[in-house]
Amino acid sequence: MAGATLELESVTRRFGPVTAVDRTDLVIEQGEFFALLGPSGSGKTTLLRIIAGLERPDEGRVLIAGREVTDLPPYGRNVGMVFQNFLLFPHKTVAENIVFPLRMQKAPRAHRDEQLKWALSLLRLDGLGERYPNELSGGQQQRVALARGLIARPSLLLLDEPLANLDRELRSEMEVEIRRYQKQLGIPFIYVTHNQEEALTMSDRIAVMRNGRFEQIGAKTEIYTNPASAFVATFVGHANRITGGIAAIEGGYARIDWGGGSILAPHPAAARCGSGVSYFVKHEDMEIHGAGLNGKRQDGTNQLAGTLRDIIFKGQTANYIVALPTGEDIVVSGTPRAAVARPNDAVIVSWPIDAGACFPREDA
Amino acid sequence: MTGMSLRAASRRRPGLRFAALVAPGVLFIVIGLMLPLLAIVVFSFWRTQSYELYPDWSFDNYRTLFGEAAYRTFFLRSLVTAVLVTAICLVCGWPVAYFIARHGGRYRLLLVLLLAAPFFTGVILRIAALQGLLGPVGLINMGLNVVGLPPIEALMYTKLAAGLGLVYLFIPFMVTAIYLSLVNFNFELLEVAKINGARPWRAFIEITWPLNWIGTAIGMVLVFIPCLANAVTPRFLGGPEATSLGMSLSGQFGETGTWALGSAMGVFLFTVSLLAIFCLAPTIRLKRSGFTGASL
Amino acid sequence: MKTSPATLSMSAALGLLYVFLYGPIGYVIYTSFAADIVWPFPPSFTLQAYADLFSSSLYSEALVNSLMLAAGAAVISTLLAGAGAIGILRFRSRYRKAALLIFIAPLFVADLLIGISVLAFNARVLGLPGNLISAMAANAIQGTAFGFLIILAQLVRYNWDMDDAAMVFGAKPLRCFFEITLPTIWPSLFGAFLISFILAFNNLEISFYTLGAIPTLPSVAWGSLRFGLGPELFALAALVNGFVFVVFAAMYLLMRFGVVRFGYRGV
Repeated sequence: MAGATLELESVTRRFGPVTAVDRTDLVIEQGEFFALLGPSGSGKTTLLRIIAGLERPDEGRVLIAGREVTDLPPYGRNVGMVFQNFLLFPHKTVAENIVFPLRMQKAPRAHRDEQLKWALSLLRLDGLGERYPNELSGGQQQRVALARGLIARPSLLLLDEPLANLDRELRSEMEVEIRRYQKQLGIPFIYVTHNQEEALTMSDRIAVMRNGRFEQIGAKTEIYTNPASAFVATFVGHANRITGGIAAIEGGYARIDWGGGSILAPHPAAARCGSGVSYFVKHEDMEIHGAGLNGKRQDGTNQLAGTLRDIIFKGQTANYIVALPTGEDIVVSGTPRAAVARPNDAVIVSWPIDAGACFPREDA
Repeated sequence: MTGMSLRAASRRRPGLRFAALVAPGVLFIVIGLMLPLLAIVVFSFWRTQSYELYPDWSFDNYRTLFGEAAYRTFFLRSLVTAVLVTAICLVCGWPVAYFIARHGGRYRLLLVLLLAAPFFTGVILRIAALQGLLGPVGLINMGLNVVGLPPIEALMYTKLAAGLGLVYLFIPFMVTAIYLSLVNFNFELLEVAKINGARPWRAFIEITWPLNWIGTAIGMVLVFIPCLANAVTPRFLGGPEATSLGMSLSGQFGETGTWALGSAMGVFLFTVSLLAIFCLAPTIRLKRSGFTGASL
Repeated sequence: MKTSPATLSMSAALGLLYVFLYGPIGYVIYTSFAADIVWPFPPSFTLQAYADLFSSSLYSEALVNSLMLAAGAAVISTLLAGAGAIGILRFRSRYRKAALLIFIAPLFVADLLIGISVLAFNARVLGLPGNLISAMAANAIQGTAFGFLIILAQLVRYNWDMDDAAMVFGAKPLRCFFEITLPTIWPSLFGAFLISFILAFNNLEISFYTLGAIPTLPSVAWGSLRFGLGPELFALAALVNGFVFVVFAAMYLLMRFGVVRFGYRGV
C-alpha cells in the first residue's frame, strides 16, 4: 500500500484558555518508529489521544491509512495502544486481556486462538495465559500490554510512556525489545516519552514538542547533532550554555563576545552582528587538558582556561566540572581513565569551532 | 450520519453525559424531598380547621409554637437531649472507633460491621428490644423483683431511659463515621510527631483530631439530626415527662389533624438542623483537613 | 509487646459497647423461644410465639407489603445512585459539587420530616392518598443517599482510563460498561441494593406517613408495642435481627475472603 499510515492536518486542541496542541501537521510513513519527545505539558499525550480518538481535535483532520477518522470514535479506528500504567483489565486473565481486541472485532474463535498463540510466543509469555494481571511482574505486565496492542495487527501502534513505571534495568531491556518487535512486524509505532534516551535509543525519527507545537522534527541523529532551536539544544543531549553577543562575522563563523572572552561558533542564519545569542556546546564535544597547553592556540578550536572543581564519576564516563574565572561552571564529559588533572588544578577546555550551535537569545 | 454527529456531539461535550446520568437522581431528590419540604413551609403559614387546610396566610402557627409554654418546653427538651446524646456518642464513639481502626488488625472489618449492623434492624424493633431489658416487666426490673429489691424507677418511662434509647439507636452512626475517617488516616504521621518530640496526647490533639475532624463532624450531624426530631423513642421509653417536639409534631399529623401547626413545627425543626450544620460548616476547612481534592 | 493502659481502656470501651448493643438483642432472641416472656428463667422453650406470628394474617400481610416496599425502594435507589455516582466521577462538569450535595442531602433530613412532608405534599398538592408507590419513592430518597455513598466509595478508586483502553481496542460504550466497568463495580451496586432494601424494609416513620392505612412490619410492630411487649414482637425482632445478621455475615465473609470488596478496602 502506498502513502502515509497517518496524516495530521493542522490539528488543534484547546482546553479552556490553554492550547494543548497547536496547528500540528504530521505524516508518519509505513514501518517507521516515531518518537514524540517533550517535557510534561508539552501536548504530546494529548496529540496521541487525538490519534487514538480518545480526544477530539477542535480543528484539523486526522487520516489513518488514507481514511479520514477525525469524527470516528476510538473503537472505529483499528489502532493499538499501550498505556503508561498498562491498564490491563484486572478481572480478565492474560489470555482474555490479549484477545480482547479480536473479540471486539468479532473474529472467529480459531483465528483468535491462533493469534493468541502467536502473540504469546512473540512476547515470550508462553504458559502465562491463565494468570491474572496482578500475578505478573512489571515486565510481564508490560509485555501483555504490548501483546494486546499488537494482536489485531493494527495499522498503527501508539505507546504512551510505556516504560515510565519500570525500573531502570528493565527499562533498557524493554527499549531494545520494543524496537525489535517494531522492526519485525513493520507496524509504525508512535512512542510518546519525556525521556530523551528512550527516544534516541528506539526511534527512527523524533519530533520534539513544546507548548503544543513541534520545535523540530527529523531523523534522530539530525535532532541530536543539529538542534534547530535553543530549546531542542537544552532538551536533547547535555550541553553547556554560554550567553553573549555577536561581535563580528568572520568567514562562515560568528565571533561571540561574552564575559569570559570570545569564541567562534557556526554562524546562525537569523543572527546579525551585535545581536544577543545563546551558545550551546555538548559535554562530550569538549576536551579537557592540563594547563601546559596554555597559550598555544590550535587552529579550528575554541579554548577556555579554568580550574577543575570536581570530577563526577559515572562509570563509563566522568564529568569534569570546570570553574571559569567568570564564576560560571562548564561540564566536560570524558573517559574516567584519562584523568589529566585533579581538583583545584588549572586546566584548559577546548572544542572544535564547528561543534557548537547558537541561537538568538530571546528564543530561549 | 445523524447518529454519528450526535455521538460526536456527546463526545465533545461530556456535560451531556454527565446530565444524562446525574439528572434522574437529582430530579428525584429535588421532587421527592425538596418540594415536599417547600410544601410544609407553605402550609406552615396556612390554617387548619376540622382536618382541612385553608390558605389563610398568617403567622398564627409560629405564634402558637413560640408562644405556648408547653411547646417551648418540648423544643428545649428535644434540643438538650439531642446535644447531650450527641456528646455522649462522641465521647464513647471515638475511643471505640480509634481502637478498631488502630488495633483491630485483620478483625477490624468484622468489629465495625458488628457495630453498624444493629442500626439496620430498624427503630421500632430496637426500641422493643430495649424495652425488654429496661421496661417495668423487663429483665432488669424483674430480676430485681426476684431477688427482692425495688425496681429502678429511673429506667422506667423517664427522660433518662429515652436518652439512653437514643444513644442505643444512633451510636452506630457516630462510630462508623469516625471509623471510616480513621481507616483513611495515615497513622505513621503520629510516629513522625512523636519522633519530633510530641507526647501521645499532644500528637492526638495536633495530628489525629484535626485530620479526622470532618468524619467526626459528619458523625455528630448524623446523630444530632434524628435525635432532635425523634418521636418514637420518647413515646415508648420516656414517660409523660419526656414528650419531645417531634412527638408533638407527629401528633399534629395524627390524632389532632392540625397539619398547619405540625408543618410549622417541622419547618422549625428543619431550620434548627440546618443551623447546626451551618454552625459546624465553618470549622471544616478542607485545606487543613488533609483533603487533597484528588477525587473531585 | 506490652499493651498500654490507653489501649486497654479503649478495648474495654469496645467490649462495653458490644454488651450495650447486643445485650437487648440477645435477650430478645432468647426470650422469643421462652414459654414465659416476663421472667424466662429457668429456661423453658417453646415455638409458640413463632407459630402465632406465622398464623397471624395481619403480620403476613404486613410482611408482603414490607417486602414489596423494600424491593421497589432498593431498585430505584440502586439505579439512581449508581448512575449518579458514575456521572459525577466520570464526567467533568461545573455542577459536580452541587450534584454531590443534592445526592447526600437526604442523610441530613430526619425520617419524621421526610414522612410528614411527603404526606402533606401528596395529600394537599398532588391529591394522592397513601399508596405503596409513594412509599417506595419516599424510602428510595434515603436509600439513594446511602447507596450513593457506598457506590462512590468504591468508584473513586476505579480507573476510568480502563474504559479508554477498552474503547481503543474496539469496545463500544455499552459493551465497555458491561465488559469492563460492571464486573469491577457490581459489588458496590449490590451492597447499595442490600442496604437500601434493609433500610426500607425496617423503616417506620417514612413508610408510616406515606402508606396511609397499608400495614408494614414496622408499623404493625409499632401498633402492637403500644399495648406492651407481646410474645409475637419478641419473635419478630428475633427474625428480623437474624435476617440482618445473615446478610451482614454473608457480606463479611465475601469481603474477608476477597471474593468481593463492596467498595471497602481496609480488609
